[in-house]
Amino acid sequence: MLNYDYIKPESIKDVFSLLKEYGAEATLIAGGTDVMVNIRNRKLSPGVLISLRGLMDLQYINKNKGYHIGGMTTHRMLEQSELVKNELSALHDGASRVGSVQIRNVATIGGNICNAAPSADTAGPLLVLDAVVVLEGPEGKRKIPVAEFFTGPSTTVRREDEVLVEFDIPEDNSRYGSAYWKHSRRKAMDLPILGVAVALNLAEDRTIVDARIGLSVVAPTPIRALRAEEYLKGKSFREDVLLEAGRIASSEASPRDSIRGKAWYRGDMIKVFVPRMAKLAAERRGVI
Amino acid sequence: MSDHLYVGKSIPRTIEIDKVTGRAVYIDDFKRPGMLYGKILYSDYAHARIKSINIAKAEKLPGVRAVLTGRDVPDVRVGFLKDQSVLKKDVVRQFRDEVAAVAAISPDIAREAIDLIEVEYEELPAVFDPVEAMKEGAPLVHETDARGKPLRTNILPLPWRFQAGDIEQGRRESAFTVIDHVSTTWVNQCCMGPSGCIAEFDMNSNLTLYNQTNVIFGDKGRISEYFSQIGLKGKKIRIINPIVGGSFGTKLDTDIYEFICIQLALKTRRPVKILFDREEEFRALPPRQPARFTVEQGCDREGRLTFRKIEAILDNGAYTSWGATTPSVMMMPVSSLYRVPNIYYQATCVYTNNIYCQAMRGYGNPQASFAVETSMDTLAEKAGIDPAEFRMINRNQSGDLTPMRLKITSCGLEECITSVKEKIGWNDKKGKRNGRGVGIASLIHVAGGARVTLSDGHGIMVKVDEDGFVDVLESGTDQGQGSPTVISQIVAESLGVRPEDVSVIFGDTALCLWDAGTHASRHTFMAGNAAIMACEKAKKQILEMAAEYMPRMIKSDFKKMMKKDPEFVEPELDYSLISDPANLDIRDRKIFLKSDPSHPHFNMDINKVLRRGLHVGTGESRVIAAEAFYDPPTETLDRELKGNLSMTYAFGTTGVEVEVDRDTGEVKILQLVAAHDVGKAMNPTLLLGQVYGAVYTGVGYGLTEEMKLEKGKVMNPNFLDYKLLTAMDVIPIKPVIVEPGDEAGPYGAKGVGEPGLVPTAPAIANAIYDAIGVRIKDLPITPEKVLEAIKNSK
Ligand SMILES: Cc1cc2nc3c(=O)[nH]c(=O)nc-3n(C[C@H](O)[C@H](O)[C@H](O)COP(=O)(O)OP(=O)(O)OC[C@H]3O[C@@H](n4cnc5c(N)ncnc54)[C@H](O)[C@@H]3O)c2cc1C
Repeated sequence: MLNYDYIKPESIKDVFSLLKEYGAEATLIAGGTDVMVNIRNRKLSPGVLISLRGLMDLQYINKNKGYHIGGMTTHRMLEQSELVKNELSALHDGASRVGSVQIRNVATIGGNICNAAPSADTAGPLLVLDAVVVLEGPEGKRKIPVAEFFTGPSTTVRREDEVLVEFDIPEDNSRYGSAYWKHSRRKAMDLPILGVAVALNLAEDRTIVDARIGLSVVAPTPIRALRAEEYLKGKSFREDVLLEAGRIASSEASPRDSIRGKAWYRGDMIKVFVPRMAKLAAERRGVI
Repeated sequence: MSDHLYVGKSIPRTIEIDKVTGRAVYIDDFKRPGMLYGKILYSDYAHARIKSINIAKAEKLPGVRAVLTGRDVPDVRVGFLKDQSVLKKDVVRQFRDEVAAVAAISPDIAREAIDLIEVEYEELPAVFDPVEAMKEGAPLVHETDARGKPLRTNILPLPWRFQAGDIEQGRRESAFTVIDHVSTTWVNQCCMGPSGCIAEFDMNSNLTLYNQTNVIFGDKGRISEYFSQIGLKGKKIRIINPIVGGSFGTKLDTDIYEFICIQLALKTRRPVKILFDREEEFRALPPRQPARFTVEQGCDREGRLTFRKIEAILDNGAYTSWGATTPSVMMMPVSSLYRVPNIYYQATCVYTNNIYCQAMRGYGNPQASFAVETSMDTLAEKAGIDPAEFRMINRNQSGDLTPMRLKITSCGLEECITSVKEKIGWNDKKGKRNGRGVGIASLIHVAGGARVTLSDGHGIMVKVDEDGFVDVLESGTDQGQGSPTVISQIVAESLGVRPEDVSVIFGDTALCLWDAGTHASRHTFMAGNAAIMACEKAKKQILEMAAEYMPRMIKSDFKKMMKKDPEFVEPELDYSLISDPANLDIRDRKIFLKSDPSHPHFNMDINKVLRRGLHVGTGESRVIAAEAFYDPPTETLDRELKGNLSMTYAFGTTGVEVEVDRDTGEVKILQLVAAHDVGKAMNPTLLLGQVYGAVYTGVGYGLTEEMKLEKGKVMNPNFLDYKLLTAMDVIPIKPVIVEPGDEAGPYGAKGVGEPGLVPTAPAIANAIYDAIGVRIKDLPITPEKVLEAIKNSK
């Protein structure tokens, strides 16, 4: 039952040919922090694990006409990056709250997104940063906005023969302040009861030029609260405006009762944290 | 007192270096030659009739050595009320019911075999709420009692009713009364080391059980009783503790997996190990029981308590373990925390189809203290008295005889309350209702043994070898509390050697004398007293040896010197002084003259004397060995459930300052002060370890920990969804150690293993009330509950 092979190819070409060879038997493994848990819980019983840990060239964070993050980049690297902290703050918030240091040392952002848990801590941040997922398959690369990447809990548009190689984040994010709140019971080793990410572009006169709001754990996939975003655009950055945006965002979510939290509580927390994160984002942008 | 060399010093832990470097052999690491691995199949239903069990496929799996069902083992009843069998044959009554078991050559094969067993069930109506279960017409969890007599109710035949004084009288004398409904839920002990054992029979069918129990002789007794019913009467049983990774109550009773492991070993004639995984720890171990209380209290105009009436309903689950005796421990705070003249207390334990419950650190005390201390706050408010002052007015004092007949000897409660008030900044912070608040709660607990069985004794053997090294055979269990260090400090102090000279051997029924178990915060107190007694005897033997040989040895030394140096003049000495053992003593490995400790000649290394006394050559050789059995002069509870069951009692007070986020319902603990009357701190570092650990568990009990059961099934059997606090959630704790010194305790010490947990949750609840004017009476105090209460109060 726990019998599987483990292969660690050294190039992405080899990954593709192994995926072809083993077909449905194969599972890609990066940090393994979701894969190994799923194997133990018997949600997954692969015949062969194909490791991506030979593709160390997919570990990078850089800025060059936009921001580029390799698919194998660990949460710890994101947490320790000044660039991410200052210019992609929401992602920094999310990555630094994943599990514990031990987990962040091995767990990757690519794994977090491909695993597609509604609670993934980098999903909300990537949504509000308007990130684009770069997938590479035997036939070449294709690009998909994160907002279109998830199709349901644990399902994505990624084809089985594709590897997530990069996240592209548009350059205009340098004009935004952003923040992510992970609402959880513990300070570590916990999944969010809900996640709220906000990115704001504020004019000097406190007019909201643009707003993006990402919500996680309140729908089958992480979502953007588009109506709340629309409402904010052009408005002045004021408490009552933010509270109203929180209310609208809350109405866009469809949280459910689970052992981790009640639907009403999650709905209420959206109302609380959209304004709080908007303020933090504005503060980071340096406008308030 | 101040001239102690080792007692009271923070000597570093001795054997823990093995634990932190991974060398210590826990049950997980423990292997025996030819050992098989056992695994248990549990029920798929909360209540069902077993129609059939098909083990054919499992038996055929290569590597499987035995598959057992209820039909393959003797139908013998086990447990505190003998209300369950080892493997269930006809009916399952809870999700953790053991239906079949497998032994195989590897854990993986055993697990695979378990999956191959097919069980057909017919579901039966079930009941999950103790109040529902008490109603007429509720599904019966048990149709008959242990003797086969039909049962008509789910209420257990354990009448916990206690009365002292006159409640009506108390009511008449009251100027203020309050009534509160308070409840607590299931929490798991969360031992770091999971449960497990290895059962091994020799060819004479004698059993050795490597087991994590912290009551080795109780375990032996229960297994011996089981043996007499399964045709193994007269066979020998030896229980040995491997390194135990925490117990917190889980290892008090003999659990069903132990009997199953024995049956698998018997069947296969091979050593068999059963080791739980974390899910089993949550699903198949008995947790702390949920309780609901109705608390009524009154006080007069001066704030003196007039009466206390508490009715409790406990969800027993489907079977009964030692946990069913928690109401007796609840009785302690109910009857004796603060001075209350008139008491009525009744606890009803009810069978349900939930998993059955057991003891956990503090036994029933945390539940009952949450009820009492919630009521203390609501009553103080009604009487218009400051909550801390209210407690001060009613504090227990030395010399009190409580309504339960507990004799309060040393009592540091006043100092505990005062120091908590001062350290937390009570007077400046209380009553602000600005989102920040302070709360206080106290505790009483047994701290000098607990006579729950007829013997509350503890035996120790001490032997001293010719090099002056001391082996202590200690019948308790080291479950991580640091006893090897404390016991060696006590032995070193009372025998006159150094702690590093002392080795302590724990937990082996073949080597050690009887002990009632390492529970009830009793170990340091009991083992300490026994050790002092044994060491006194051993010391006497050494001093007799010294009185006999020291004069001769000193003289012959002089002779040798004279041979070497003809100028040397032998001093004139009064050898009669050291020929009487009463004139001698030992300290720091040296035997010396009491009347002149710095005498230049009359002192000698202990090992010189020991060697001389052993290697005599005339048929008079002697070894040093002594044993002692300390059974304190305490009482078991009488028919009225009264009696002084402990030699002394621990007191303590916790103060908490919290900040509550009114939008999210989140509670942040800004500081926590834990003041404990410990008699005497034997090893301050270890003592603080107990306080910190217990406080964190108490914070979890108050705010985050809860086993979520849905129709009898544990829905969060893992640390992701069971919110045990992590190292990142630490809060600032200020401990205050109060040391009144207890006459009955070893060097004045009292037990402190459980107390820290007890007042933590109520202190937090009281602080939340002080912060936002909302009182939560149901544990844990989750943000959802707080927010809901805030909304309802608007
Ligand atoms: C103790 C613990 C705590 C955790 N805490 C958190 C938390 O707080 N927040 C949170 O969001 N998550 C948490 N997780 C989940 C997990 O750590 C994250 O989702 C992590 O980012 C997964 O990354 P990984 O590299 O380990 O993925 P893996 O487990 O290796 O893979 C996950 C999935 O993605 C696929 N995959 C991985 N990389 C690629 C790629 N480059 N291209 C295509 N497919 C790929 C794999 O096939 C698999 O299906 C926790 C896990 C554990 C064990």
